[in-house]
Amino acid sequence: MIEDYTEGTGTAVVGGTEQRASRSLLALIWPIALVGALLSLIPLWLGDSRVMMGVSILGLTFACYAVGFNLIFGSTGQLFLCVGALAGIGGYGSAILADRVGLPLLLSVLLATLASSLIGGLLSWIAVRRSLGVIFTGIITLIFSLVFGNLLLGAAGVTGGDGGFHIQMGADTFLRQTIPPYYLMLALVLIFLLTHGLLRRSHIGWAFRALRDDEVAAELAGVDVSRYRVYAALIGAAMLGLSGSLFAVTEGTISPTTYGFAQVDVETLVMLAFGGIGTLFGPVLGAVVITIINELILDLGQLRLLVYGALIIALFLWVPRGIIPTLGDLLRRRRSPARREE
Amino acid sequence: MANVLDGIVLGLQFGLLAAGLTLVYGLGGVLNLAYGQMAVLSAMAVALSMEAGLAPIPAVAVGLVAGGLLGLLLDLTILRPVYRLHGEARVLLSLLLTLGMAFVVDGFLTWRYPTKALTLRIGGGPVEILGVRMVRGGVVASVITILVLGGLLLFFRKTTLGRAVRSVIEDEEGSRLVGIDPQRMLRLILVLTGVLAALVAVTRSLVTPVSVTAGFELTVSALIVTVVGGLGSVGGAILAGVILGIISTVAASSIGTVLSLIILLVAAAVTILIRPSGLLGVEE
Repeated sequence: MIEDYTEGTGTAVVGGTEQRASRSLLALIWPIALVGALLSLIPLWLGDSRVMMGVSILGLTFACYAVGFNLIFGSTGQLFLCVGALAGIGGYGSAILADRVGLPLLLSVLLATLASSLIGGLLSWIAVRRSLGVIFTGIITLIFSLVFGNLLLGAAGVTGGDGGFHIQMGADTFLRQTIPPYYLMLALVLIFLLTHGLLRRSHIGWAFRALRDDEVAAELAGVDVSRYRVYAALIGAAMLGLSGSLFAVTEGTISPTTYGFAQVDVETLVMLAFGGIGTLFGPVLGAVVITIINELILDLGQLRLLVYGALIIALFLWVPRGIIPTLGDLLRRRRSPARREE
Repeated sequence: MANVLDGIVLGLQFGLLAAGLTLVYGLGGVLNLAYGQMAVLSAMAVALSMEAGLAPIPAVAVGLVAGGLLGLLLDLTILRPVYRLHGEARVLLSLLLTLGMAFVVDGFLTWRYPTKALTLRIGGGPVEILGVRMVRGGVVASVITILVLGGLLLFFRKTTLGRAVRSVIEDEEGSRLVGIDPQRMLRLILVLTGVLAALVAVTRSLVTPVSVTAGFELTVSALIVTVVGGLGSVGGAILAGVILGIISTVAASSIGTVLSLIILLVAAAVTILIRPSGLLGVEE
């Protein structure tokens, strides 16, 4: 169901010469640079409006979430329905460490990211050990999300409960200005894309693809399926934790809904599925499109949810496998019509 | 003791809700995330009919028909493209499309009837069971639920149609070979689960008000109970529902709501980890 479109992955291994390898590295970097260049123009257009910059920063944060989720779900087929919870561990973790414990900002962010990476890895390890299928992994992680949400409410003394947490750290620095946080999150998106792209080109990426295409065959061929699943979860969860904690620092206020299941997980899944699960740029494209749609229908007030649902149905009826795989198919069909016959 | 009985009342409803979800998943590999919304929409149909002057029983009938029609509507519209896919892609697309549907229903209801809720009251004092005084509504709800669940199990064990449905769950290819049309069975079950969703909404409203925003929570509870019970197993769904229902009410009365919810969730997680195929699920 999941297609793969990294240009040049074939040549990198089949050819094997250094010249080809460096060319394919370039083939990875220039599209990412192009995405970065396009997105870096947004503040020139919307930079005057604090509200619109806030929307854009949130959109980039979701792009980060979607890339991390894509690494876990798209690359290794583990349906982690705890994107918001892992991001929340990063967000609440760094806020608590910095404001309540008094650690420096950078150290807090680092420790919180590490915590969410380890918890993501642990969840994956449990799922792998018990060989849970997609739905079961989904439900276990969904339960984890709900528990996390309830813990935030239950431990109101530390987390601020329903009312949320006003973060002191980073106040009065560039992190709370209008435009710099945008470039911070954009840099994060690009770093994540590069990381995911490099992983896909490495032997880890080949293992990912093998286990996704045919898990049993991969196992027989000597790929340690469970180890690579846990690796993917460790890296993906670190991405989620880091983006969640940087968002908290730039936003200044977080509450349980900032990382809620309905607010984050559902949205991230829709973005990734719409862009194209398992593709490198699908998550970013999906995040941009869904953020724009959300903004366009904001004025509808109470009708917003109804229209949003109808748009989701329409989008997935139109491109059930996501935009990038569908476009890829169209291009390939045009290039080699005879091949499609098989 | 009173808490255990309350837990059984709640658990039976969980079980009935999960039974609907599990059947559709087992039969067609379709995960219906609009399931809770189907229940809520049927509840609103009952509430509106009663406001229009209908007596409670005919109003409930209207609700049940509405639920069934919603199931049919899903089958005839947004699930069409889902049927063309197989395996994981099918589950994923069904999940996304019914999620969209859930938003549409939630959006429509909160827009048109933001504060409406369905409450059905049954007159008369509490009933004494095993020396415990129970609210009459809860007892009636449980009796209805037990009858329906019993009927459901009988339907699957004894009738030809029910056996046909089970054979599709067990082996779709094989059932096709003996002349069963899986697609028709799926449509039948979607209508049936729509009626079940409506029934859950009605029996629930005998105990607590069912509000327009209850859909999401109902779906999530049903999902968890379904997986704990074992995908595709009606008996498992009932068992899991009752166990989780008892844990939930006993914990809630002794240690407060937030912590009890956490205990409930952890219990569900532990069950899944001990028996990944569910309480009564089939090992794959």
